[in-house]
Amino acid sequence: MANKYSLHAIYFCTGCGIIEVPPVITARWDAERFGVIPVATPRQANLFLITGYVSVKTLRAIIRTYEQMYEPKYTVGFGSCPINGGMYWDSYNTIKHLDKYIPIDGWIAGCMPRPEAIFIAVTHLWTLIDKEMANGYIRYRENYNSYRRNQELALGKLDWPPLFPVSDEPQGNEQ
Amino acid sequence: MNKSLTEKLESTFKDIRIAISEDSRIAVTAERDNVLAVLRFLKDAGFNHLALLSAVDWIEDDCFELCFILTSYMQNDDEVTGRQSLHIILKAKIPRKEPQFKTATGIFSNAEPYEREIHELFGIKFEGHKRLIPLLLEREYEIPPFRKDFDTRKYVQEVFDKIPSVENKDK
Repeated sequence: MANKYSLHAIYFCTGCGIIEVPPVITARWDAERFGVIPVATPRQANLFLITGYVSVKTLRAIIRTYEQMYEPKYTVGFGSCPINGGMYWDSYNTIKHLDKYIPIDGWIAGCMPRPEAIFIAVTHLWTLIDKEMANGYIRYRENYNSYRRNQELALGKLDWPPLFPVSDEPQGNEQ
Repeated sequence: MNKSLTEKLESTFKDIRIAISEDSRIAVTAERDNVLAVLRFLKDAGFNHLALLSAVDWIEDDCFELCFILTSYMQNDDEVTGRQSLHIILKAKIPRKEPQFKTATGIFSNAEPYEREIHELFGIKFEGHKRLIPLLLEREYEIPPFRKDFDTRKYVQEVFDKIPSVENKDK
């Protein structure tokens, strides 16, 4: 797909990984060589980089941000914490396994990953986009019931309407 | 200045213990009822900045300890006066069974968010605080999570680990 060379990353900061992003988007590493530029609002973005641990409060903001982005949209978890909690695996207020709440297209492991790892991830993402494997936004649509249920398990009743119609019937590969 | 201040404190308040760990640090331990008066006294003595208000849960002694860290903006700044800046740590213990304290927002208005934080993380109620609403947490906890008897591991297993994976059922 043509849009793989013009990824617009939402400028969303969470956790300690965001400290890697300013050098990545500026002169030192210059993400624009890979077609990645930061944008200020989710309505202009199609790449969502979650750069660190996700507290329950941040999860609310992440879901709202993700749902405002246009399709096709790609999400990448950056660092150990969104993958499995990392060093916050037994924290009272940190979400482990971010992919239970929003779909993730790829992970960058490490604590911290180097800035170069972002570019490796971007080139991997190109491959995934070419093979139509970066399909998180489609999986979100298909399994929206399950995602919404998990979001409500973590956050309580959500104060915004569902993005897609929610049915009581099991859908997708939900049991 | 240190000497005159500690002498004044000792003569003004009963039941006060003062320990000087370094030249620049004074730890004052006060009784629960005296704390606000000591705070007011120290503020009038030039310690006009509440740098931090924090709490410690001494579960073996069955009490919470509140720590007020005070300093001053300019009078003791070594760049201004050539002296080392002076910090005062004011400590007071309150029983665990009755976690209540009077608000310090009347003296230092920036105590407001600190007290909200302590209220939600330690469950200490501050009487007279006008806006004791949650500050950081989204979920409700049976035991405030910073108390020592809160079992984080058990909580994680019961809450976050029980949330099922959407697509990969092995997790």
